[in-house]
Amino acid sequence: MGVVLRRVSKAYGFLWALRDVNLTLSHGDFVALLGPNGAGKTTLLRLLCALHYPTSGEIEIDGEPLDRGKIHLRSAIGFLSPDGQIYDKLTARENLRFFTSLSGKEMKSAEISAALDQVGLGPWSDVYASSLSHGMKCRLAIAKWSLLKPRFFLLDEPYGVLDGPGVDLLESFLKNLCHGGAIVVIATHNVHRVLGLCTRALILQGGGIIFDEPRREPWKSFHEAFANFLPSEA
Amino acid sequence: MGTLKQTYWLLWKDVLLEIRRRETLLSMFFFGTVLLFLFHFSFEIPREQTARMAPGLLWLAFIFTGTLALTQLFQGEKESRCLDALLLCPMDRGALYLAKVFFNLIMMVVVEVVIFPLFGVLFNLDFWRLLPSLFFVVLLGTIGFCVLGTLFSALTLRARAKELLLPLILFPLMIPAILGTVRAMQILLGAGPGQEFYPWLRLLIGFDVIFMTAGFLIFEWVIEE
Amino acid sequence: MEATAQTSKGKSARILGWLAVIAILLGLYVGLIFAPPDKFQGQLQRIMYLHIPSILTAYLAFFIVFVGSCLYLWKGEPRDDILAHSAAEVGVLFTALTILEGSIWGRPTWGVWWTWDARLTLTAILLLIFVGYLMLRALTEDESRAAVSGAVLGIIGFFDIPLIHMSVKWFRTLHQQASILQPDKAPWENVAPPMLAALGINFVGFVLLFFYLLSLRLRLGETTQEIKRLKLYGRS
Repeated sequence: MGVVLRRVSKAYGFLWALRDVNLTLSHGDFVALLGPNGAGKTTLLRLLCALHYPTSGEIEIDGEPLDRGKIHLRSAIGFLSPDGQIYDKLTARENLRFFTSLSGKEMKSAEISAALDQVGLGPWSDVYASSLSHGMKCRLAIAKWSLLKPRFFLLDEPYGVLDGPGVDLLESFLKNLCHGGAIVVIATHNVHRVLGLCTRALILQGGGIIFDEPRREPWKSFHEAFANFLPSEA
Repeated sequence: MGTLKQTYWLLWKDVLLEIRRRETLLSMFFFGTVLLFLFHFSFEIPREQTARMAPGLLWLAFIFTGTLALTQLFQGEKESRCLDALLLCPMDRGALYLAKVFFNLIMMVVVEVVIFPLFGVLFNLDFWRLLPSLFFVVLLGTIGFCVLGTLFSALTLRARAKELLLPLILFPLMIPAILGTVRAMQILLGAGPGQEFYPWLRLLIGFDVIFMTAGFLIFEWVIEE
Repeated sequence: MEATAQTSKGKSARILGWLAVIAILLGLYVGLIFAPPDKFQGQLQRIMYLHIPSILTAYLAFFIVFVGSCLYLWKGEPRDDILAHSAAEVGVLFTALTILEGSIWGRPTWGVWWTWDARLTLTAILLLIFVGYLMLRALTEDESRAAVSGAVLGIIGFFDIPLIHMSVKWFRTLHQQASILQPDKAPWENVAPPMLAALGINFVGFVLLFFYLLSLRLRLGETTQEIKRLKLYGRS
């Protein structure tokens, strides 16, 4: 699994959200994507999962350009955001059944029940998603992705809605994915939490990457960059 | 095969959501009925003119009711903000188009099955023998309406004043289907030359096939961000 | 360099404009004065010299909208989108003028402001389609979304026009009242050569006028696009 971005830029109207971004991600990378609000983190994630297309530049997954119509590439990509992942008037079980079937991975009832139990939603399997709290909806999304097993998994601010056990659940899921060779990119403001997990850190600012290093102990350069560019999050 | 399966699941989801929310179908029934009453008060149809005028009024009632459904077509996705989740799925986006077309078609057919006889009763029409053939013609026209309407419903999804914009762009382009359906129904009821029936029917079928194909192919561009 | 390119573009546009004026004046002379009146319809038939060229030009405009739309969806070049948008705006102008002119001529001639004959009806429908296109673009929030939406509507509309044409023509042949104008008769059934000449010259004139206006509108669109590009990229 390899992802390459070459001179990727994205403009919305008169503003650049990303400018000339070059990036290579490989097998097993767990990337912490950091940066202040408006730095372009969400834009980058949305380009990586083909929800948007770049104004210029190329994105390649396993050597193939991520263009319109590349359905087989999309099957490897997953995206978790705090909301907008499940239908309110379907039950937890029905949501999982729908999304897995739609992705071509029809699951037996037992597999879906197991996934729900694993995220602690067993008792709420047959409850409408609208009755679930934000944290539980996030867990349901985790269950969905645990069934779909993406090889390139993107997360946008997942820590906000999850409680302690939920966070542990998410992190063990992500660690397993990485050990299996997947690439994980997590955009977050919860720097301290994600530092313990990542193999690499990226800091975005003003639409460009200003820091990109693999993790080391001690990580002096990261802490300096962090103090310089993200004093508000220190 | 994959596309058909995906269409099936998308349709399953929409039908299930509608059965639970029940908003659109009920509103369509009552709106259609209200329209029939309005027509009664607005148009005096002399007995000898019913064959000529009834098809037009009926078809207008269906179109206005159908437009109501079209503005709601992507409501489930909008409310749950699920459009992204669907776009992420590794599927041909044409499957989403087909599923929405079939869903809208099912809704309209269900409403038409009730409104059609109601129309006959309220306006004292004696067309019961002809009901199956009349319904077939209406079905062809409804397919055309759903095919174009679904496309434009998605097109106007992120536009301002979409409830006004959608009919504005849809109705002129629906004219062949409107004319075809009304004329074919008039001929069935005896108010037109028989030799024109099959040409109008062929026009309707051609309309349906052309725009379903075009919609399926072009939907990829329509639905993306 | 750029300045000379601009002035030469402006120059060719002006030449186009003058050619258009000459052709139309010539066409009007031939049509209104030189050509003989129609055997059956008399002076009333002369409206065809304006009517047919205008509507053909309107269809040409829509064809250009279609071509621009296809190219835009295929390649994504803003230039193609500008072409489609400009052709639609000029097309609206021509279509609206055609209807207005038909109406103004019709009132003293036939006593009515409007008649539902096939040609006028088709012109009116074309106007509605153009207006729908422009409104869709104007009301769509994001600009590139507006361009894509317009392109989709341009393509679908183009496929529909022959179907609309057929269905309205069939519909009208049944409702043919004793129309003075017999507008559904093809113009070459009134065979006199001066009449054909008038039609031909007027058609050329209208097409020239259309391309002149289109070139003006295209320049406006391209200048706007250049401003956007400069704002985005800076003077790099």
